[in-house]
Amino acid sequence: MSAQVSAFGDILLGGIFHAAVLFLVAAGLQLVFGVQKIVNLACGSFYALGAYFGITFVNLGLGAGMPAWTLLPLLLIAGLLMAAIGPPIERLLRTVYDRDESFQLLLTFALVLMFQDVFRFVWGANPQSLNNVHLVYGKLATGDFSVPVYNLMVIGAALSAAVLIGLFLKRTNYGRLLRATAENRAMAEALGVNVRSVYSAVFTLGTLLGTVGGALVVPTAAASLDMAVEFVIEAFAVVVIGGLGSMAGALAGALLVGLIRAGSLVVYPEFEILAIYLIVIGVLLLRPSGLFGKPAT
Amino acid sequence: MRHGPALLLLAAAVAALGLVPVLAPPFYANLLVPFFGYAIALLGFNLLFGYTGLLSFGHAMFLGLGAYAAAVMAGVLGVRQFEIVLLGAALAGLVVAIPVGYLCVRYTGIFFGMLTLAFGMLMHSVLFKFYYLTGGDTGMRIPRLRILGLEFAAYNKLELLAGPFYYYCLGLMVVAGLVMWRIVHSPFGLHLRALRDNAQKALYLGVRVRQFRLAAFAISAVYGAIGGAILGFRTGLADPELVYWTHSGHLVFMTVLGGFTSFLGPIVGALALTLLQDQLQSATQYWRFVLGAILAAVVIFLPRGLAGLAADVGGFVGRRTAGAA
Amino acid sequence: MKLSRRTVVKSLAAASAAATSPGVFAPAIAQAKPVRIGILAPRSGIAASAGESGLRATQWALERYNKAGGIAGRKIELVIEEETNAKDTIERFQKLVQQEKVDCVQGIVSTGVGLALGPVVEEARALTIFWDGTTQDGVDEKLPNPKYLFRSTDNECEAVMSSLLAIKHWKGQFKTIAGINPDYSYGRNNMAAFVALLKRFNIEHQVVTEQWPKVGTMELTSHVAALKAAKPDLIFSSLLFADLPVFMKQAHVADLTKGTKLVFPAAGWQHTLMKKDFTPEGMIFGHNTLYFDNPKATAMQKEFVAWYADKFKDYPNWEADRAYFAIASYKEAVEKAAKAKGGQWPSVDDIIGAMAGLSVESLGGKGSWRKDHIADQTFVQGFSTHKNKFDFVTLDPATIETMYSTDLQKPPGANFWDWLKTAQFKI
Repeated sequence: MSAQVSAFGDILLGGIFHAAVLFLVAAGLQLVFGVQKIVNLACGSFYALGAYFGITFVNLGLGAGMPAWTLLPLLLIAGLLMAAIGPPIERLLRTVYDRDESFQLLLTFALVLMFQDVFRFVWGANPQSLNNVHLVYGKLATGDFSVPVYNLMVIGAALSAAVLIGLFLKRTNYGRLLRATAENRAMAEALGVNVRSVYSAVFTLGTLLGTVGGALVVPTAAASLDMAVEFVIEAFAVVVIGGLGSMAGALAGALLVGLIRAGSLVVYPEFEILAIYLIVIGVLLLRPSGLFGKPAT
Repeated sequence: MRHGPALLLLAAAVAALGLVPVLAPPFYANLLVPFFGYAIALLGFNLLFGYTGLLSFGHAMFLGLGAYAAAVMAGVLGVRQFEIVLLGAALAGLVVAIPVGYLCVRYTGIFFGMLTLAFGMLMHSVLFKFYYLTGGDTGMRIPRLRILGLEFAAYNKLELLAGPFYYYCLGLMVVAGLVMWRIVHSPFGLHLRALRDNAQKALYLGVRVRQFRLAAFAISAVYGAIGGAILGFRTGLADPELVYWTHSGHLVFMTVLGGFTSFLGPIVGALALTLLQDQLQSATQYWRFVLGAILAAVVIFLPRGLAGLAADVGGFVGRRTAGAA
Repeated sequence: MKLSRRTVVKSLAAASAAATSPGVFAPAIAQAKPVRIGILAPRSGIAASAGESGLRATQWALERYNKAGGIAGRKIELVIEEETNAKDTIERFQKLVQQEKVDCVQGIVSTGVGLALGPVVEEARALTIFWDGTTQDGVDEKLPNPKYLFRSTDNECEAVMSSLLAIKHWKGQFKTIAGINPDYSYGRNNMAAFVALLKRFNIEHQVVTEQWPKVGTMELTSHVAALKAAKPDLIFSSLLFADLPVFMKQAHVADLTKGTKLVFPAAGWQHTLMKKDFTPEGMIFGHNTLYFDNPKATAMQKEFVAWYADKFKDYPNWEADRAYFAIASYKEAVEKAAKAKGGQWPSVDDIIGAMAGLSVESLGGKGSWRKDHIADQTFVQGFSTHKNKFDFVTLDPATIETMYSTDLQKPPGANFWDWLKTAQFKI
C-alpha cells in the first residue's frame, strides 16, 4: 500500500473514530430532544463523567488482576453505571417540564456549573489518562497503514448502537410508544401511556449514550477538567447540522464533522478551529433545518 | 402612569448606588463598574428574551464585540473620546447583528439558542485564531480614554474607575434604561410581546414577525456592545474569554435571577450576581457548584426571579396595608 | 491537602521558634501581626494542575518558614483567590489589595491575565510577583519598566534551550521538520523561536507541516496521521496541557515516534503522565525550572519532592518551583531590607529595592531578579530515558543540561527576534 493511500486511510479512520464517539453523545441528545424537547447542555458533563469514571473503574479492575482484554467490557460497564445519574437528574428536570423550554435549558446549564466542581472535588486538578492498554486488542496493519483494533471496535459499537436504536424506534412496540409520545404527549397520555416513566427511560438512555461515549474515548484520549464545557460545542454542531431530533441526523452530522475536520488538517491545518463552524453555517445556509430535521417555527 | 411608589423606590436605588463611591470601601465602587456594563447589556438581552421570547445563548459575542471595537478604535486608531468609542461599539454590534440575526431569527426556542451558541463560539474561534489581528489569547489593549472630553489626569486608572467613570456609567445605565423603557412601551414593544405570546396569531394580524424579531435582536446587540465597551474599559483588555459560551450562560443566569418578566429584573439580577459571586469566590473554592445550585433553585422555585419575589411581597404588603386601612 | 479558600496558618510549633531565634528581627508590637500574602492561582480548567502545584509549594514554604519564625519575625498567612479570566482576576486582585490589604500578591499562570493585570498592579502600587505567564511580547511593549510588578522568565526560554540542544546534538542529522503546537501565543512563539534559531545557526531545514491543534483538544489522531504523512525527520512540539500525553499516546499507536527525533521543551509540565508505555527514550525533554529527580538537586529540593510524593502520591512539576521562588525571594528581600533598617519592618519601596538584583536558592536551582524586575532562573533539560523506578520517563542523568536564563532570554530592553539573530549562545 503506497504511503499516500495509507496516510489517507489513517486520516479517514481517525475522522470516523472521532465521528463514532460524537455520534453516541449526539444520539443521546437527539433522543432526549426528540421525545422530551429538552436540550441538555450537560451532555458534555455526562461525557466527562463517563471518561473520568471509566479511568477509575478500569484502574480498579486491572489493579484487581483482571486481564487486559477486559478493557472494553470494563469501560462499557463504567458507562452503564454512570447512567445511574439519569433518573435523579430527570426527576430534577421534571419540575420544569410544563414551563417554557428556556427553563429546561437553564437548569441543564446549572448542572454544567455544578459538575465542574464535582469533577475537581472527586478527581482533582490533574488530567487523568490510561496507558495504551487498548493495544491489547492489537492492530490491523497492511504495509504502512495500521489501525488499532480497539478503534474499529468503538466504531463498530457506535454503528451497532445506531442500528439498534433505529430498529428499536421503528420496529418495537416501546419504540412506537416513544415516537407517539414525541409527536403528541397529551394524546399519548390520553391513550394510557405512562409518560412519566417514558420520559425517565428516555432520559436515562440519552445519559447512557453520553457516559458510554466518554468511557469509550478515554483509552485514546484523557479526562480533563475542561472537557465537558468544550465538548458541548461539538455535540451541538453535530445536532444543528444533522437536524434537531433526528437520529439519522446525528449519524450524518457526526460523520460530516468528523471527516471534514480530519480532512481539513491535511489540506489546510490552520483552519481546524474554524472548520466546524463553517460547516454549521454552510449547512444552515443551504438547508436551514439541518440535513434531516423538520422545518421549525 | 401610576407608578408613584415604584418611581420613588427607583430614585432611592439610584441615589444609593450614587453613594457607594462615597460611603463604601473603594473596592466596591470598582466591583460595581462591570455591573453597570452588564446592566446595560442585559436591558438589551431581555428585550430579546423577556419581551420577544427568544433565548440567546451566544449574547456574550456582542459584549466581546463592544470590547474589541473599543480596543480597535482606542488602541489601534487612536480615538481618545469614550463617547466615540461607544458609538463605534454600537455600530459594530449592529453590523454583526444583522446577518447573524437574519440567520437565527428564522427559529425560535431551542434551535435559536443553539444557533446563537454556535455563532458565539465561532466568534471565539476567530478571535483566538487570527492572532495577528486580534492578539489571540492575549487579547487587545484598551487604553485609558477621556470621558465627556475630560482627561481626569489627577486620577490614576483605579481612582478614575471608582470615581468619575463610576458616575458616568451610572448615568449611562439610567439613560439606557429610559430609552429601553420607551422602546418597550412603544407600539414596537407591544408587537414584540404579541408575537412572543402567539406568533401565528400575530402573523395573521399583520405583524411582520421575522422583521420585528430581527429588530429586537439588533437593538439587543447594540446594548450588548455598549455594555461590552464598558467592561473592556474597566479591564483595559479585550480578550476572547469574554465571548466563550459560558459567559453567555452567565448573562442568562443574571437575567433569570433578577426576573425576566419584569423590566428591572435583569438589572437586579446583574447586581445580585455581581455581589453574590464576589462573596462566594472569597468564601469557597467550590463557588461554581454553589452558583449552579442557586441557579437551579431559582429556575425551579423562583421563576420570576428576585424582582418577581419583590413584586409578590410588595403586593402582599400593599394588600395588607390596604386591608388595614 | 485540601486548602480552604483562606488558609490562616498560625505558628505550627511555637516552641521550635525559639531554637532559631530570630534575634535580628526582635519583634516589636507591630510585628506580632502576621504578614499576609495574597495568592492568585487557577483552580479549575486546563491550568488547574499548575495552580495546584504552585499552591502546594507555597504551603510547604509557608510551613517551613513559620516553623523558623516566619518572615522577619512575622508569621505568614495566605489569602487565596482564584485566577480565572482577565476581568474577574483583576477584581480578585483588587479585593486582595483593597479589602484584604495583603502585603504582597503572588501567583498568575496565564499570559493574557498577566498582561491585563500588569497595569493594575502598577496603579494599585501593590508589590506583586507573577509565577508564570510572561512572554517576550509582554515584556517587550506592554510594561517596559514596572516598579511594583515582578515577572517570571520569558516563556520562550525553554524553547530556546531545547532548540540549542537539538542543534548541538542533532546537527546534520535531520532535514525535514514538523511542528505540532497549541494554537495560541505560547505555541506560536515557541515554534517561531525554534525555526529562527535553526536559521541563525545555518541549519538546513525544511518545514514539511505545521499542525496547530486547538488548545487542550484531545482528538489528535488526525494530526498524528497528517504528521505521519509528511514524514518529518524531527518534530518540535510545545504541547503542554492534557493534549500532550494524548498526543504521545496516539503518536505511539501510529508508530510516528519510532525513528523521529522529538523536541519537547514543555513536556515536564505533565511529566508524570508521560508514561514509559508510550513515550520513547531519547527525546529532548524540558523540565523548565524544576526537575524533580535531578541528581544534582539540593537537599531542600529533595526534601520538598519527598514531602510532595508522600503527601500527594505525585511528583511536582516546575510550577511548584515558580511559586516557591516567589515566596522565597519575597522573604529574602524583606529580611535583607529589614536588616538594613536595623530590624524594623521595611516599606514596600525598601523591599522592592532589596529584591531587584537579589539571588535566592529556589527549589530547582538558583534564581535571581534583574533590575527590570524579570526573573532569571535555572533551566534543566535532557534526553528521556526508561531506566528508572517510575512508570513515566525521566531524564538520562548523563544527558542533563543545565542553563541559567541569562543565556536563554533577551536582556532588558532588547527585541526578542533581533536578539535571537545576534546573541552569543553557549552551545
